Amino acid sequence: MNPFNPASINRREFLSRAGMGMGALSLGALAQAQSDSPLAAHAPHFAPKAKRVIHFFLNGGPSHVDTFDPKPMLAKYAGQSLPGEYLRTERKTGAAFPSPFKFSKYGQSGLEISELFSKTAAHADSIAVVRSMVAQVPNHEPSLMLMNCGDSVQARPSVGAWVLYGLGAENQNLPGFVAMCPGGMPIKDSENWQAGFLPGAFQGTFVDPQNRELEKLIENIRSPHASSATQRRQLDLLREINATHQRAHGGDPRLESRLQSFELAFRMQVEATDAFDISREPESIRSMYGDHVHGRQTLIARRLLERGVRFVQLWHGAGQPWDHHDNIEGNIRKHSGDIDGPIAALMTDLKQRGMFEDTLILWGGEFGRTPTVELGDAGKSKLGRDHNPYGFSVWLAGGGVKGGSVHGATDEFGFKAVENRATVHDLHATMLHLLGFDHERLTYRHAGRDFRLTDVSGDVMKKIIS
Amino acid sequence: MTVYSARFSVCAFIVSLTASLPVIADTTPPANAGAHWAFHSPKEIAPPAVKRTDWVKTDIDRFILSKLESTGTAPAHFADPRTLIRRMTFDLTGLPPTIDEVDAFAKAAETNHDTAVSQTIDRLLASPRYGERWGRHWMDVARYSDTKGYVYSREERRFVHAPAYRDWVIRAFNDNVPYDRFLLLQIAADQIVPRDSPDLAAMGFITGGRRFIGVTHDIIDDRIDVVTRGTMALTVQCARCHDHKYDPIPTEDYYSLYGVFHGSHDRLVPLAKINDAELAKRQKKLADTMKKRREEASAQLRGRVGDYLAAQFELKKYPEEGFDQILAADDLIPASVRRWRDYLHTANQPAHPIFAPWFALAPIEPGDFVKSAPTLLASVLRDVKLNPLVAAAFATPPASIAETAARYGKLFADAERQPDAPGAKELSELLRDPDFPTTVPDTGITNNDQFFPFTAIEELWKMQGDVERRMIELGTPAALILTDAPQEPNPRVFKRGSASRLGDEVPRQFLEAISGPKREPFQNGSGRLELARAITSPDNPLTARVMVNRIWQHHFGTGLVKTPSDFGLRAESPSHPELLDWLARRFIADGWSVKSMHRLILSSAVYQQAGTSEAASEHDSENRLLAHFPIRRMDFEQIRDAMLAITRELDLTTGGKPVPLIDAGNKRRTVYAFVDRQFLPGAFRTFDFANPDIHVAVRHETTVPQQALFFLNGTFAAARATALIARLSTGSSEEKVHQLHRIVYQRAASGSEVSAGLRFIASAEADAPPPQPPVRETQWRYGSGEYDESARRLKSFVPLPYFSGTSWQGATSFPGGDTGWAQLTAEGGHPGNTRVQACVRRWTATADAIVDIVGTLKHEPEQGDGVRGFIVSSRHGELKTANVHKSEAPMNASGIMVKAGDTIDFIVDIGGTLSYDQFLWAPTIKASATTWDARAEFSGPAPTQHLLTPWQQYAQVLLLANEFAFVD
Repeated sequence: MNPFNPASINRREFLSRAGMGMGALSLGALAQAQSDSPLAAHAPHFAPKAKRVIHFFLNGGPSHVDTFDPKPMLAKYAGQSLPGEYLRTERKTGAAFPSPFKFSKYGQSGLEISELFSKTAAHADSIAVVRSMVAQVPNHEPSLMLMNCGDSVQARPSVGAWVLYGLGAENQNLPGFVAMCPGGMPIKDSENWQAGFLPGAFQGTFVDPQNRELEKLIENIRSPHASSATQRRQLDLLREINATHQRAHGGDPRLESRLQSFELAFRMQVEATDAFDISREPESIRSMYGDHVHGRQTLIARRLLERGVRFVQLWHGAGQPWDHHDNIEGNIRKHSGDIDGPIAALMTDLKQRGMFEDTLILWGGEFGRTPTVELGDAGKSKLGRDHNPYGFSVWLAGGGVKGGSVHGATDEFGFKAVENRATVHDLHATMLHLLGFDHERLTYRHAGRDFRLTDVSGDVMKKIIS
Repeated sequence: MTVYSARFSVCAFIVSLTASLPVIADTTPPANAGAHWAFHSPKEIAPPAVKRTDWVKTDIDRFILSKLESTGTAPAHFADPRTLIRRMTFDLTGLPPTIDEVDAFAKAAETNHDTAVSQTIDRLLASPRYGERWGRHWMDVARYSDTKGYVYSREERRFVHAPAYRDWVIRAFNDNVPYDRFLLLQIAADQIVPRDSPDLAAMGFITGGRRFIGVTHDIIDDRIDVVTRGTMALTVQCARCHDHKYDPIPTEDYYSLYGVFHGSHDRLVPLAKINDAELAKRQKKLADTMKKRREEASAQLRGRVGDYLAAQFELKKYPEEGFDQILAADDLIPASVRRWRDYLHTANQPAHPIFAPWFALAPIEPGDFVKSAPTLLASVLRDVKLNPLVAAAFATPPASIAETAARYGKLFADAERQPDAPGAKELSELLRDPDFPTTVPDTGITNNDQFFPFTAIEELWKMQGDVERRMIELGTPAALILTDAPQEPNPRVFKRGSASRLGDEVPRQFLEAISGPKREPFQNGSGRLELARAITSPDNPLTARVMVNRIWQHHFGTGLVKTPSDFGLRAESPSHPELLDWLARRFIADGWSVKSMHRLILSSAVYQQAGTSEAASEHDSENRLLAHFPIRRMDFEQIRDAMLAITRELDLTTGGKPVPLIDAGNKRRTVYAFVDRQFLPGAFRTFDFANPDIHVAVRHETTVPQQALFFLNGTFAAARATALIARLSTGSSEEKVHQLHRIVYQRAASGSEVSAGLRFIASAEADAPPPQPPVRETQWRYGSGEYDESARRLKSFVPLPYFSGTSWQGATSFPGGDTGWAQLTAEGGHPGNTRVQACVRRWTATADAIVDIVGTLKHEPEQGDGVRGFIVSSRHGELKTANVHKSEAPMNASGIMVKAGDTIDFIVDIGGTLSYDQFLWAPTIKASATTWDARAEFSGPAPTQHLLTPWQQYAQVLLLANEFAFVD
């Protein structure tokens, strides 16, 4: 079969490649599919609970035992080695290191959350925590790839790219998948939101929200050499010239879709300007999110989601800010403080706009951290925690998620998932399920195989679905 | 900023720990797999008879026409001369013809069409532009990139060898190197050409893939894929974890090839003599340090034989590559634990003079040890002629396997302490045998880093980086070749793809699906040359078919087989199987000549058809039968190069260092743009450029608004429009419109096109805004160079190429580019990696004046050894200098006379070593009436683009039109 070539192959072929039969398409989607854009919206396999995703990526690996997985037993072993097998991680660790933060029960569900996320905790009854996540290795790079692309090593499309491929974009005038990270890129750079073997159009668009000027946010979004009126005149002439050419070349749809792409681009300039301009929000909203880069990027994210952007990923910052090897108490307090308010504000805001029910929120990093203290030179405590792929937490909220619930558990110290272990493929399968996809049928033919986000495994976590 | 920040960490894929592994029911390939057409040699077929013999120009046409006639479809009429020469020129060179070439061809075609075509083909094939176009097609296959992909900050991220490989490919196409030799060189040049041959560059085909942060299994997987899909359209990679689900490729065959590549290691070799003292110095430093660290690490290994043997019973504690731990000097090294495992597997002979007791005792179950060990040991002592020290150590049975291991540890240690004891010499020699696990292999840091503790890994990689950076700076072509290890045990299957689950040993050999059941294992070294010969054999049923299909694909948009890199059972059948076979045989018969194949195809009637046809069949909406020529959208390279070509701006310099794609000064062909797989420029991605991470057989072809934004708002198309108007000779508006059409489309404008153009100009002029005030340019420039202390002058000033929004630096990523850490911000900056790359803030006087200079150079970190600062006037030489380390110094000078054009440079270089060298220094220059403040006036590149004039706007529209972007 021809590699996906949406502009030149017919719709049926595209859909069969996408693992969806014609029957899967609603009439509305079919109408939209008349547009030859690879980003045209289409319906998933079954009725979705969520239509869009926002992913808070705490890059570096947030400690679960200090946030969403309370482990009182650690206090009993404080300063002593943990009983049982010594689990190897990237660096050497020593004695049990109890969390310095207070956990409380919140909401009717009584979900236990630490003081670090006390504002977010006001939404406890909307949150489902997966406490039994496992990754594969204790190193950032492969774990970032696993969490984002479902494979630690090979160049594979990211979750956002798959979702965009499966659903298309609701708004053709904005990028369908946006990754924001203040100050630069996380480790592994744009591999985190790559399109892999899918067309480049499914790749996440990177935005550094520290930039305030729009032209620095999105490439070529403004013309330095022509006014809008000039461009309009140019596009009118372009249409006229192309019409003559098209008449001489039969009905090749690629000619029309290329012409349309200029019209879309023209509109995109206006729409993108508007979407990224948070000064258009009322003061009350802006102050609820907070006038700092995390507040701003979260508010921009809401504006994007509202305008039909399918997938937004919010990274904490360049490099790996949540990599708390040293002095975790001070560092995690600061980093939690950066985002606790914006996350709570987003949840409140989505609820008041009626968007919460069909927006999937995901919170997490690439792995968790050890319940034992990291050792530095000569076995000296660094008052921090090392990477932990054996057990960690993520949480979900919004579209189709059963709030106030917990899936799985780590051992009594929080080192290793022991109950209902959840792999990253399970998480991805669950996300796709909420978006209306059978993860085994969302496939793409490449290099002789039908690839999927979840490779050859993955079980939907039914317990956290409402 | 922390130099060498915490951007390391360690990595990759291990499946033994927590991964839930793919479990796929073994699917036996269909019983008829052996009958699949692609696994049998192309058939000898006579071109079929057809009715419309008058249409036929070559035998190719008979195959095509026969099918058309069988469906009752008539071929299209022939393309007009302008269309045809445009098609041929874009196809073979990636560039448009000039208007003169079009006119000459049209004239010649009137006299004798076929001769005109044939002469044009010859001219185009002889053009150096041909190799640039077709080389790029091959670079898609070879997943070409100038960078390694993600690397830790200690490592240089650019490949030294990539440009030489790119240039070799281009040259090979231009020289029409026979395709079998073209492949042979790319897979095994190291074994067939002299050590100083430029053909060694060919091996970049294999060594140019992503580095996967050094994880061997993944590097090899990528190499297997590029070789098997690239040359034979076989998806062997699918057999990494289990037998191929569809094709007859058992997982054993994957590991046979794995063994071929595992038996080779990478080596960087210069392809020209380099006389550079700095490089020699860095190489020596690397070599000396490597020697020292190897000796230290090997000494550790020699002293801990007992521990490594004991570790064989706890292999789970020593994870595979990819699960990286930060190891101290006294930790057991997991890679060495595995090397012991492999050694013991290979050496396992009951009569082994040293390890016979181990081989006898190791398999005993722990519970049975005390009971079974004495008997087993007794028979060893009786039957085997043991090394005397070993025999003495095991005179009495040990109580456990742990004790056995400890005894070995002690006896090796004793042998080292008492070199004269009988048997000691053999043991000491074994400890120093390069193939024994107690000697760190001497294969370079790229291949042996896993055998060192963390600090040594960091140190050696940084030194390797220094060497690589210098080679890149010098631009000397280099090849990254494979060299075979002297001896290599047979590979073992990784069960379900997991390196920690070793299965059966398999020989290194070719694929059974092609060689048949009687295949013989490879005999020589890694077997790589034999693999290359098996691929390029005329008997290989796939190789020639795959290449003729690729050639066809790039002439007609789609291959005869639609999946050019998958000829397996799931591939759609060829549209014209007989033609494919006929072409493949013809290709081999013509000595694998690619140019002959072009000539044959371009001479055909099917190629010379018009792009549209009245008779186009409804049953063939995809035009698989080729009832007309398929209209094709240009790829990114064609469209960018064509724009530069028509404005006569195209710089036809060939080869050498890559240039940044998005750079106003880059007017070279796109094939020479820097392909950074980690930070691929948005324009490449937006326009469906081949993903440099994976072998690409067919590029995606999408239409998205970001492409339109690139042309509409980006500076590239606007600059071309500006250049286009500058190219016009004076004349009336009408004449200008005519000229533009001839230049842009190589044809005359129609009457309605002329009137549309004139209407546009009139309307645009009526609305034209008043002239804008000129943009004030600042007098500051940002660059790097070397300060000559003895001459007290700056030797050179090279502008820093990239502005990040807040800083000037060497590349889009930081540190990056030739200057590494060199960076200038509003407040200060960071010097480049060596003193040759000092950072230089340059002020240029625009008028004569007497100025005072005020400022403070400040260095804050305690670590490192600080920086040196200089103020240097182009007229007076050095004005001021200071060394600062966790300190600050005033940098003032007063009463300095400057004339217009003079420069004053504010130079900072590294104190002694590159470490914690960030500094603060934002000087102010004051004249009587004006002040120039480096901080306040700090800015990015001056806007080069002003508002387009109505004519430039018009030219831009012509460049954006579909007629420019499609070839018919």
